[in-house]
Amino acid sequence: MALLDAIMVTMFVAAYNKKSGPIEAVIAILFALLNYVYFSKRSIPLKFLTPGLVLMVLFILVPVIYTVSMSFFNYQTGNLGSKDGAVTAILQTGLTPDAKNTQYDMAIGTRNGKITVLLTDPNTKQSFIGTASGATPLAIGQFKAAANGDAIGYPGFVPYTADQFGNLSDQISALQIPMPNHIGFAEPQTESSASLFTQQYSYDKQRDTLTNVQNGAIYLDNHNGNFALATDKTKVIYPGWRAYNGFANYLHLFDDATIRGPFISVFIWTVGFSFVTVLMMFAAGLLLAVILDRKIALKRFYRSVLILPYAIPSLMSILVWKGMFQTQFGAINGLFGTHIDFLDSAWMARGVVLIVNLWLGFPYFYLISAGALQAVPAELSEAASIDGARPYQILRQIKLPLVLQILSPLLIASFAFNFNNFNLIYLLTGGGPTNVLAGKSSGATDILITYTYKTAFNGTSSNFGLASAISMMIFFIIGGLSLWSIRRANVLENN
Amino acid sequence: MSATKSESTKRLKISKGSIFSHAFIWVFILFTLFPIYVVIESSFNNGGALSTNSFVPSGWSWVNYKALFHDAAVPFGRWMFNSFVLASANAVISVFIGGAAAFAFSRMKFRGRKIGLQALLLVQVFPSFLAIAAIYVMMGSVYTVFPKIGIGSMGGLLLIYLGGSMGVNIWLLRGYINTIPMELDEAARIDGASTVQVYWLIFFPLAAPVLAVTALLAFIGTFNEFILASLFLTNVDQRTVAVGLESFIGAALGQNWGPFAAGSILASIPLVIIFLSLQRFIIGGLTQGATKG
Repeated sequence: MALLDAIMVTMFVAAYNKKSGPIEAVIAILFALLNYVYFSKRSIPLKFLTPGLVLMVLFILVPVIYTVSMSFFNYQTGNLGSKDGAVTAILQTGLTPDAKNTQYDMAIGTRNGKITVLLTDPNTKQSFIGTASGATPLAIGQFKAAANGDAIGYPGFVPYTADQFGNLSDQISALQIPMPNHIGFAEPQTESSASLFTQQYSYDKQRDTLTNVQNGAIYLDNHNGNFALATDKTKVIYPGWRAYNGFANYLHLFDDATIRGPFISVFIWTVGFSFVTVLMMFAAGLLLAVILDRKIALKRFYRSVLILPYAIPSLMSILVWKGMFQTQFGAINGLFGTHIDFLDSAWMARGVVLIVNLWLGFPYFYLISAGALQAVPAELSEAASIDGARPYQILRQIKLPLVLQILSPLLIASFAFNFNNFNLIYLLTGGGPTNVLAGKSSGATDILITYTYKTAFNGTSSNFGLASAISMMIFFIIGGLSLWSIRRANVLENN
Repeated sequence: MSATKSESTKRLKISKGSIFSHAFIWVFILFTLFPIYVVIESSFNNGGALSTNSFVPSGWSWVNYKALFHDAAVPFGRWMFNSFVLASANAVISVFIGGAAAFAFSRMKFRGRKIGLQALLLVQVFPSFLAIAAIYVMMGSVYTVFPKIGIGSMGGLLLIYLGGSMGVNIWLLRGYINTIPMELDEAARIDGASTVQVYWLIFFPLAAPVLAVTALLAFIGTFNEFILASLFLTNVDQRTVAVGLESFIGAALGQNWGPFAAGSILASIPLVIIFLSLQRFIIGGLTQGATKG
């Protein structure tokens, strides 16, 4: 305990040094909680519960709450940071050559240890001395001039040699010299010239507006994480920031055609797939269990072979199946001597998913069905056979209804599991085939969870807000289903 | 044989039915064995690519197995090691922590017990990767302070696994503990044992088999986990065997198929052995935990 305290104090100091508020708070609360629980004699249950509860709160509850909050934000590529950060970025990146295309003759070197430039406007013959922190005008006579009047020397100024210039080229090309009177920045272009750039936007802090310096257009905060043109709200400036946007992410799922289309088709496939796959696995498993419930030759051999898919790590099996359905080298094509790209056609890919999942899942259903068949009291069958029921009738009218009743919570759990069967879809088909040409963002075999993953972690355009909203929809569906199933089980138990 | 007429027709009927039964079973036997055969065959096939036209093996060799341990770009041994460390750590720690919590839920009376149980039930149906975007962002910010448990570290991944499996584990274990007779605790208490002593000296040895099964399920679950591991462990040397083999098959399947097959067999064998030798317990656990509620 003392050791744990010491570790936490160290961690707190580390967090404090990095000024990360939430992490500091979490550690402080943990520290207080653990010390209270394990040093006081008051609550024994808490001593047993605390480690488990802490882990659950930190790594399930907190992410869930965070997911809920993210789903109310415009949080995607282009809107990742804070508003201050976005304004700074807009001001820095929105540099364009000034209207007159001003060029300076330049001498570059070092003075007082800083990169320093001597600039001369060839039209006005005005010279400046400047560094990254600013430039000041020079009067004639303050500097050493070349024949054409360009400034080439100044007390303390040592020009760079070509080698030095080459070595420092990264720093030099990033150099921005603010010119007097806020007319813009001079940026070195070659060894001996610089161009004047003006800011495209200026930011008015009081009114919270951006103004396009060149044409005077005004951009307002659109309360959705971007500045938008006052006269045309669809023209927004990137980058934006992470902004609260209420239920917009949820509404987009239904009112934005580009999002609604994929969402609805993915949703339908998710439900259809979960339903059909559970039905298939259960039918196969139950039939096998019924057959093997009787005395039959080689029963033990059959049994041990049939549960093999359940013993093999499912991840390996999925990858192996993926390889077997491969076009060129795959064993399936090899077997039939064909060259079919199974994963390229929507319906074939869906069939492949169902077949592979059948292979993975039927042993489980066989095992639980066999268990349930055994659990049916022998007296019931005996009583029925005394009443003259034939074996088929006993099976059909007595055993199966009971088995179904015993297994229904497991069937619902399996439906919920396949609803979120990420590994199967992601590793087998990757959600594809995806009709990219038709501008589709979802594939034919994408289920909600893989679609969420794609939405959140799509290299070029991640949308954490939307992904979180879809996650919440899954929460509600699965949570509701489980609650319903539990209620139902409780009703059965109480009777 | 002195069979009566009715008996012989009955027998005939059964054998008709059993022809269908055997046929049905054999379809599934072949279906089951087909991929297993293909993998084993291609793992020993030295042709590199998967044998295309013939299903009769053409030349046996250990080339693919050797490739796994002699290629620096494919640290297969390291991946196996990572997977086993992660899976064992998750199994052991989650059983200790989960067992304690389950013991409290099963044997103690305290305020909030009922609500706690219901919350637990809801939590256990939410797979933690539903909140994957949140976990990613969260662990990213943890990384800035503690690189050891933030994103890109096995420690951080372990914490998430532990948190994620806690709900299910507590729920399953509670179901088992409820079946241990209460009289044992009471007897021990009368003899003067404290709660902690009851837990360690009475409950823990008695529950050992079920704790082992829970640990095993946690182990298999971790071994099979892909998405969090692939998101978290970006460094080649840190990968789990699942992520490693996936990266293997992703790139150039044609050349990698042989070593991949060998790798997947090596990775599967320990789990298959564990599973088959303990199947009685595991299967009991599966149905019991779910139906007893």
